[in-house]
Amino acid sequence: MTQFNFGKWFGTRAISILVALIFCFLLDKFMQGADKSYGRFLMSLAGIYVTLAVSLNLINGITGQFSIGHAAFYQIGAYTGAVLAANKFSALAASKPLLWLLLSALFGAIAAGLAGLVVGIPSLRLKGDYLAVVTLGIGEIVTIIAKNQKSLGEAYGLSTAKIESIFLISLLAITCIAVCRNLLKSAHGLAFLAVREDEVASAAMGVNLTRIKVTAFVIGSAFAGAAGALYAHTKAFVSPPDFSMDVSFLILTMVVLGGTGSITGTTIAAVVLFLIPEKMRDLPYVQMGTPLGVAIGIIVAVVLLRKIQESFHGAGSVRLARNIGSVGSGAVVAFIMAKLLVMVPAFQGQINGALFRMPVLAITLVVLMLLRPQGIFGHHEFSWSWVQKLLGKKAPETEVAV
Amino acid sequence: MSLLKLDQATIKFGGLVAVNSVSFELEKGDLFGLIGPNGAGKTTCFNIITGVYAPTSGKINFDGRDITGTPSNRIAQQGICRTFQNIRLFHSLSSLENVVVGGFLRHKTVLGSALCYLPSAIKETDELKTKALELLELVDLADVANTRSRDLPYGKQRRLEIARALATQPKLLLLDEPAAGMNPQEKMELLQMVKKIRDVLGVTVLLIEHDMKFVMNLCERILVLDHGEEIAQGPPAEIRSNPKVIAAYLGEAV
Ligand SMILES: Nc1ncnc2c1ncn2[C@@H]1O[C@H](COP(=O)(O)OP(=O)(O)OP(=O)(O)O)[C@@H](O)[C@H]1O
Ligand SMILES: [Mg+2]
Repeated sequence: MTQFNFGKWFGTRAISILVALIFCFLLDKFMQGADKSYGRFLMSLAGIYVTLAVSLNLINGITGQFSIGHAAFYQIGAYTGAVLAANKFSALAASKPLLWLLLSALFGAIAAGLAGLVVGIPSLRLKGDYLAVVTLGIGEIVTIIAKNQKSLGEAYGLSTAKIESIFLISLLAITCIAVCRNLLKSAHGLAFLAVREDEVASAAMGVNLTRIKVTAFVIGSAFAGAAGALYAHTKAFVSPPDFSMDVSFLILTMVVLGGTGSITGTTIAAVVLFLIPEKMRDLPYVQMGTPLGVAIGIIVAVVLLRKIQESFHGAGSVRLARNIGSVGSGAVVAFIMAKLLVMVPAFQGQINGALFRMPVLAITLVVLMLLRPQGIFGHHEFSWSWVQKLLGKKAPETEVAV
Repeated sequence: MSLLKLDQATIKFGGLVAVNSVSFELEKGDLFGLIGPNGAGKTTCFNIITGVYAPTSGKINFDGRDITGTPSNRIAQQGICRTFQNIRLFHSLSSLENVVVGGFLRHKTVLGSALCYLPSAIKETDELKTKALELLELVDLADVANTRSRDLPYGKQRRLEIARALATQPKLLLLDEPAAGMNPQEKMELLQMVKKIRDVLGVTVLLIEHDMKFVMNLCERILVLDHGEEIAQGPPAEIRSNPKVIAAYLGEAV
């Protein structure tokens, strides 16, 4: 165990924070300009989804509490920000937009955090999966309230000040990641993981289960609320469908796909799962045979990959070669089948490629559950020693891995 | 004054009386054995002492305080910790991390300092890790400190559970079948280890075990349960020759 060194601690902290700030600032500068408005919107939403997924990962992945209504807290934050900016703080929002955006995120976080506390305390005290049921209900209740409340714009929605800031959005995402990562590096974080692993044993070791669970739930909800407030101003408009059950499930899928508990995996999954369907909006019309051929190719690849997983026990490099071979065969089959099928008159009809946005999510999830049920990253995290290992260098003796 | 006192502790699960009016006292520094046939209510006794279940009736006193019905985590804080018959480690955590969780209950830093990675939290974590490593050395597991506990062999998992319980700095340690699944060599080592825990660390030990040779060699006093009721209590020599115990549990062999 190395001795704690204040100078080194301060140095690395200061540099990391500075680097993060500069990164967010440059990203913001780079994305300025009227021609980049769509890219800016995509990047903002990607950042917001990273925040949402990583904050849900704190609840579901790290603490092991199954919450399936994360969009409710996202919505509470969004409406809080939107309503405040449209009424009480409209002057501030107009004169000092960035300052207001920061405050708005703060108010959103507080509102959602309080809601998390109110929902969390009763449902997390009980043993069993009450949280899943309750959060499912809360998601609906919040939407219904918004739909029926005149001051919240009812089903139509609510417009509010447009304030775009890639800077704040990326800063929020990085803060959320950093907070979770810090937690996992400390003994406190191990107590959270212990609750996920075994509640009876954790309690026997003196861990206060309710307290840990509620804490995780409130922090996770608060981050979702802050993300909501930023979303409201990015879009300048909030309406109930933006926070429907689908959104909750999309966030949940990001967590599961990335590897429950892995911050790295969740972050990557959030970006990918948000961008895939978004990018697919622009897909051209294709002939029916093409997607069918691709589907057959995917099935071939998955079957081959599973065969290798089940029955191949040889060296890693051979395994890798075979895996690549399987994917390659799948691609070849997809290509040939697509070419062949479009020759059949029945499969020549045109179909809008964008229609495949949602099926692609479902297929990704099914394929992943078949090939890697623990998620892409499993419980693993990104670390520099891991990169060094990957590059073939010998990793330095790590202290105890957390 | 006794360290632990069960006074007519009783617990019913529906119609089944799993523990029926059991009373016994442990003095500080005792090495006390709890034996009896399968389903006698031994583990259930542990469960009511550690607050997993509240007794239906009766009182439990620990260190001068009434702890009847106190929740598990508070009981651990007051100084009773246990191991489990069906091992309950934090499977995806390393051995060291498991023990750190044990030591966590006496933490002083607030959560906020951990979330911000402040020096106080880092130092505390480092201290807990150092202490955990010492405990791993005590149970001879220092070489697997970074191994995931799931990947450890059975005997080592049992020892890791003991280290994790010791990390809570208990006054009383409850061991539920610590020798189960161990080979004779490992059992010998375990016996020495438990003695050391009592003699060197001064922890009072209450243990459940089916291996009679182990119990008779280790414990200074023994309580025998059958169908939730006490049928005998006394030093090993007395228990071994008690006709009721022979009939209910030991049989002719011992
Ligand atoms: N939560 C529970 N609900 C219902 N019955 C229970 C519960 N816990 C224990 N029992 C019952 O209480 C009785 C005593 O069980 P216990 O686990 O204490 O036995 P034991 O003496 O530890 O046996 P073994 O040597 O097999 O571990 C058993 O009949 C068991 O089925
Ligand atoms: Mg038992």
